[in-house]
Amino acid sequence: MHRRLGVLLGLVVLAVLALLLPQFGGDYYVHIFALVFTNVILAASLRPSLTCGQLNIGHSAFMSIGAYTSALLAKNLAVPFEISLLGGALLATAVGWAIGYPSLRLRGVYFAMVTVAFVEVIRLIAQLWVPLTRGMSGLSGIPKPSVLGMTLSTRTGQYYLALVLMLATLLVLWKLEHSRLGLIWRSIGMADHLAQSLGVNIARHKLLAFMLGCFFAGIAGGFYAHFIRFLFPPEFGFLMATNILVYNYVGGRGHFVGPIVGAVFLSLLSEPFRGSPYETIFFSIAMLLTILFLPGGLITLPRKLAELRWWRTASAPTPSPAA
Amino acid sequence: MSLLEARNLTRLFGGLAAVNHVDLSVDEGEIVGLIGPNGAGKTTCFNLLSGFLRPTLGSIVLAGEDITGLRPHQIASRGLIRTFQLTTLFQEMTALENVLLGLHLHSDKGPRRVLFGRSAFPADEIARGREVLEFTGLVSHADQLTRNLPHGHQRVLGIAMALAARPRLLMLDEPVTGMNLDESGRVMELVKTIRGRGTTILLVEHNMRAVMGTCERIVVLNFGQKLAEGTPAEVSTSPDVIQAYLGTGVNHA
Repeated sequence: MHRRLGVLLGLVVLAVLALLLPQFGGDYYVHIFALVFTNVILAASLRPSLTCGQLNIGHSAFMSIGAYTSALLAKNLAVPFEISLLGGALLATAVGWAIGYPSLRLRGVYFAMVTVAFVEVIRLIAQLWVPLTRGMSGLSGIPKPSVLGMTLSTRTGQYYLALVLMLATLLVLWKLEHSRLGLIWRSIGMADHLAQSLGVNIARHKLLAFMLGCFFAGIAGGFYAHFIRFLFPPEFGFLMATNILVYNYVGGRGHFVGPIVGAVFLSLLSEPFRGSPYETIFFSIAMLLTILFLPGGLITLPRKLAELRWWRTASAPTPSPAA
Repeated sequence: MSLLEARNLTRLFGGLAAVNHVDLSVDEGEIVGLIGPNGAGKTTCFNLLSGFLRPTLGSIVLAGEDITGLRPHQIASRGLIRTFQLTTLFQEMTALENVLLGLHLHSDKGPRRVLFGRSAFPADEIARGREVLEFTGLVSHADQLTRNLPHGHQRVLGIAMALAARPRLLMLDEPVTGMNLDESGRVMELVKTIRGRGTTILLVEHNMRAVMGTCERIVVLNFGQKLAEGTPAEVSTSPDVIQAYLGTGVNHA
């Protein structure tokens, strides 16, 4: 019960901090944190698929689909933001179905290779379909997000929008993970043939988990498009896809908060290197350090520290049995 | 009436016939044993019947319905549930969660339940899960992680999960391997009790003593072919079977 209270208190403190950030942080921090929130959506939405044991190194492709779709709908057809956002997410989901249906029968590294190829295909489409996407000149002039006809013109307004989108995403994903569906995902990841023998249609559940991730990646992309208001194809390449994966591993695979912790921690820490070649190096080092010293991810850090303390106190005054 | 009827079951691996023209039938309410020396094709047979392998030839009929070529989960949903050799379990879950997954076929999976249910599992499903654990004697371990359970308990948990799926035909793949005499005796008692509650059982086993004491009918495989079939007494005295298990004596001229 104590633990529960602690968790609740922690959540309240975090919520208050998130709500108050625009009051004492400047526009810079508001901007950074809105991006952090989109990264949290991306990282958390990859988790269902990872739990099913599917190594998806192409998540950014679905963000790209969401971003371009929403941007083009709003820019060329003057579709309201809410609908273009949803449209982008739905198209990402539909493409997820088309890609996932044939390839989710593959396992491990074979599936991973399909997703890597897919990320490149989407990047090339965005790059080469110049009449629609403007290719390498980048797509600009994307309208700002609006809610119920009201344009969110300030960074603060957009920050709150990102916060709401993130919380809604996390709520849905949390709910699903803690339902029978979550148990099924874990069962597929642990022993898929055993799950099958109990009547679980593993192909369908893997596809469902994958499409769920695509939907929320599309949402993240849609928000990003209207927030940054400029889209450039290589942004959503292989590098970003691996980053999303790294958030999950560095944060920790064992618990729902893992990808959230990973995304917040790494996006803030990598902020000075964003867009520079050092970014790759930073993420590689973070991943290597995790594998070497914290295989369970950052969420296991408290337990690890407690163990270290135990060793120190236990090893200090050892009475020797030989005396 | 026979519940399971496999005719002419054949599976080739390259040029090797792992299972070669085998006919196998299991009547409602029976306990049938499937035995044979190593490499006789017992596990391949199991995988064919449960849909994990497709037969090269032959047909499988379950309760009057042709299930040849169906996928494993489809076969499971028709009431044929199998366990696995060794300890194939969801190791990082609790014993209760394992059994809850066994309930998958009979659980409420509607989106309303999944998205808006107040708890992850409805109380009646948890109660049913605990009931199965109670029946198999594992209820005191319900909340322990499976990987921390002793070997014998893990094997029983495998059976408990299969039971939770409410099989018409339960297929057990070497349920007492690696157990001592005492443990294997208890598992065999459990198997008999399960049959007593109306579940038909097909058992693959290495442990001759366990099979002989439990099964009413035994099918012996050797090199993928059916070598003998009959009551335990008939099978254990058949010269063919003795030869297959012990080999031929060397002829001294």
